[in-house]
Amino acid sequence: MTMDAVGTFRQRPEKLALLLKNKQGMIGFVLVVAFFLSALLAPFLATHDPAQLDIPARLTGPGADHWLGADQLGRDTYSRVLYGGRVALKVAAIGVTLSLVIGLTLGMVAGYGPRWLDNALLLLFDTIRSFPTIVLALAAVSLLGPSLNLILSIVIITSIPSYARLARTSTLALKNTEFIMAERSLGAGTFRILFRHVMPNVIGPLLILAAMDVPVVVTIEAGLSFLGLGVLPPTASWGTILNEGYLVIRTSPWPVVAGGIPLVLTTLGFTLLGEALRDIFDPKLRGIR
Amino acid sequence: MEALLDIHRLSVEFNTARGRVHALRDVSISVPKGKVVGIVGESGSGKSTLVWAVMRLLAGNSIVADGKITFRGEDVLSFDESALREFRGESVSMVFQDPMTSQIPVLDYRRQMTDILYRRKGLSRQEKIRMAARFMNRVGIPDADDRLRHFPHQFSGGMRQRAGIAMALLMDPALLIADEPTTALDVTMEAQIIHLIREAQTDFGATVMVISHNLGLIAELCDKVVVMYAGEVVEQGDVKDIFFNAHHPYTQALLECDPSHDLKQERHFPTIPGDVPDLHGTPKGCVFAQRCRHASDICQYKRPGEYPIAGGHASDAHAARCHRYDPGGVWKELPKSETPKASTRIDVHVERDAPPLLEIKDLRVRFPVMGRVRALASGISDPHVDAVAGVSLAIRTGETLGLVGESGSGKTTLARAVLGLNRVHSGSIRFRKEELVGLPENTYKKMRRDIAMMFQDPVGSLSPRQTVGQLLSEPLIIHGERDLPLRDAAEKLCDMVSLPRNFLSRYPHELSGGQARRVGVARALALSPALVIADEPTAGLDVSVQGEVLNLMIELQALHGLSYLIISHNLPVIRQVSDILAIMYLGRIVEYGACSQVFEKPAHPYSEALVRGTPRPDPSRRRKLVSIEGEVPSLTNRPGGCEFHPRCPYATDRCRKEQPSPTRLVDGRTVLCHFPLAG
Repeated sequence: MTMDAVGTFRQRPEKLALLLKNKQGMIGFVLVVAFFLSALLAPFLATHDPAQLDIPARLTGPGADHWLGADQLGRDTYSRVLYGGRVALKVAAIGVTLSLVIGLTLGMVAGYGPRWLDNALLLLFDTIRSFPTIVLALAAVSLLGPSLNLILSIVIITSIPSYARLARTSTLALKNTEFIMAERSLGAGTFRILFRHVMPNVIGPLLILAAMDVPVVVTIEAGLSFLGLGVLPPTASWGTILNEGYLVIRTSPWPVVAGGIPLVLTTLGFTLLGEALRDIFDPKLRGIR
Repeated sequence: MEALLDIHRLSVEFNTARGRVHALRDVSISVPKGKVVGIVGESGSGKSTLVWAVMRLLAGNSIVADGKITFRGEDVLSFDESALREFRGESVSMVFQDPMTSQIPVLDYRRQMTDILYRRKGLSRQEKIRMAARFMNRVGIPDADDRLRHFPHQFSGGMRQRAGIAMALLMDPALLIADEPTTALDVTMEAQIIHLIREAQTDFGATVMVISHNLGLIAELCDKVVVMYAGEVVEQGDVKDIFFNAHHPYTQALLECDPSHDLKQERHFPTIPGDVPDLHGTPKGCVFAQRCRHASDICQYKRPGEYPIAGGHASDAHAARCHRYDPGGVWKELPKSETPKASTRIDVHVERDAPPLLEIKDLRVRFPVMGRVRALASGISDPHVDAVAGVSLAIRTGETLGLVGESGSGKTTLARAVLGLNRVHSGSIRFRKEELVGLPENTYKKMRRDIAMMFQDPVGSLSPRQTVGQLLSEPLIIHGERDLPLRDAAEKLCDMVSLPRNFLSRYPHELSGGQARRVGVARALALSPALVIADEPTAGLDVSVQGEVLNLMIELQALHGLSYLIISHNLPVIRQVSDILAIMYLGRIVEYGACSQVFEKPAHPYSEALVRGTPRPDPSRRRKLVSIEGEVPSLTNRPGGCEFHPRCPYATDRCRKEQPSPTRLVDGRTVLCHFPLAG
């Protein structure tokens, strides 16, 4: 039956509609949008400067002035959480985007290029993958000193291989299809073939992987900052809020709660969104759920 | 005559996102016991839906809206799960189109066949295995005991289909359903399988239902034929009535379209204009009215019934669903608007004395069969197969060369070598006297303007995420014609292949096979090339659409003075379009010469087998014997002497020992045979 093939449908609106129909996808989408908005609008939403000290209010609970209380230095926790979201967004957006772009390119080159290049790149990917991210980050930080950029670079380098591997496999499958042959017979250059004809066909699964990678990246940053190896004080990040709050948890639990909840919600949001995207892009799963 | 299976006024509907599809409407077919019933129709005619309905295997969104299916007097539609299992397991068996996907790849045949016998509780395992071996032998698989331990991927396509038939026969079914049993096979294999099904039918006394779009196959195999169109039976009757005395305009048109029907070389193919109607909602009137050349007013609003046609053969009532045969009707035959038969043969001017446009000399394409390290370890120097082994041919401007061969003969490899997509081992390819072998890609790119290729799969050869507009303008962009108004150029190309302009914003998966093929033609012609290489231009297309595409190609050839290199295994098609024919076997050209001569008097036994092997839509010339046995040998294991000798019915001792060299016949043909059959 060619019935399905005849109908005219445009892809994008339908995918978004499908996403919003899915309950998981809906929740994920809302959480992710809320995360983006709160981080972007932090200067407008914040009630205080995140670094401003208010010594009399230190370690107080929620109140009229400090909505979520204040930490051991009297800094406003609500504002610090908002600004902490900016760090998380920066790490997530830059880290995931760059690993996606670099991983996709290297993966397509490995899959489409000559055998020796493929082997060399595979060796490189496997070497990187054999380092655990956190241990590598610890080693790098103890050598070079803590900084956000260092964490970002480590996150990018260690997550490139999974993107590249995925892109390479799909490219290998496409390499000998008739439409790629047709492009070659027309005289299309390698660059054109890769970015116009291979990329649109391999990027779908990579986008899903990226959505599911965001929470991982955010937790890595929070984890390292919690250990004091990430962003430096007085910059607010969810990890540093947790770290500092953890020391005073017996006096006031508010910093830990306020730093933990957005972390949980963001992670949950991206995970749900990623899973919903996977179901939508994979038509075999679409019918089942 | 007792009917084994009786389908009475069956209607099946599907619920889809775009509304209800009426896949089958009012279908009545009776399958008499011990007969072979053929169901013919193009894609979308509902023939597969009919089979699934009989097997009760319809998809979840289907509704059997009306009708009854009776098998041996029992109502199939009311079967419960256990009755259904018994019905499917014991009474009905199926032979599928593609044995590779219908057989289990991870189980060997012994396991698969003993599994089929699970209902035979009284049989011991040993007996089941013996039975499996017996059936394998029966379908012509030698050393069955040994072969049973093999897995499907270790069998060749033809063997797999034989095994599929053995599996279907294993339970001694009362009804055997074969769904496009030879579509995935080569011509010589097809003949063997047709023969096998016939034999099985007489030996086992089985009743067979064959579904096919291949009219030749139906004519050779069936006793009774049912013609389906857009979910309805438009005509049914005895095979001779259908083929010699077709009454429904659709049947008539379909028979006319079949290229093997006509033995003249006319260079113009009959077609059925228009498309299969949309089956959403209930169509008013006759389903074929839009495409019918006899249609009158009544056809548009009143649905015709099935009217019997007098003077039919034998016992099977001949009936057609057409107002013209309504005995109580007031049909007035319209003044027959003759088919616009452009019988004026379009002639292309070929300069016989001019140097050839493309000249291939002693071309060899080699593929390595193992890695260098492994080869060194096993002590073999230069392990390879010659996919193309010394091919020479020439095409002049305006000429069409047909390259014919079964799968694995190296024809596609040859085409790709010309385009520089495969590395050439030795030999030369000259285009306008310029050597192409060894040319670096940046110099080759200029040549690509003049040599275009149409790939085999109409939809699969179009980049799936690009719109038709992007696809059509791409050749221009690649070759630096950016200044051209691309939109206009794309529209012009659309017009050239008569594709509506609003198709420019569609994606390949939204096109039908014929439409996608038109896009392929337009893309090939975008840069006004001199030579077009077409790999199976009609593969995957319905008969009525095939003609349109070929006519288009022929018209464009005349208009632009194109030369074609057409690759196909479909001889009837190639005969009508080619000037010169080259027949390939195992990477060599075994016969090369003027098309008409090769067809009239094939000189190589292999050409003879191909020419005679094609089933023709003529039930009166059923073959008693299959001309050649066996299958194409593997390239890694070329037979010694003449490479065709294991399958050649005329092979002598000399053929087994000595490799023939190309011989020139009196009429100018070249043959690779010690004892040419003609000339």
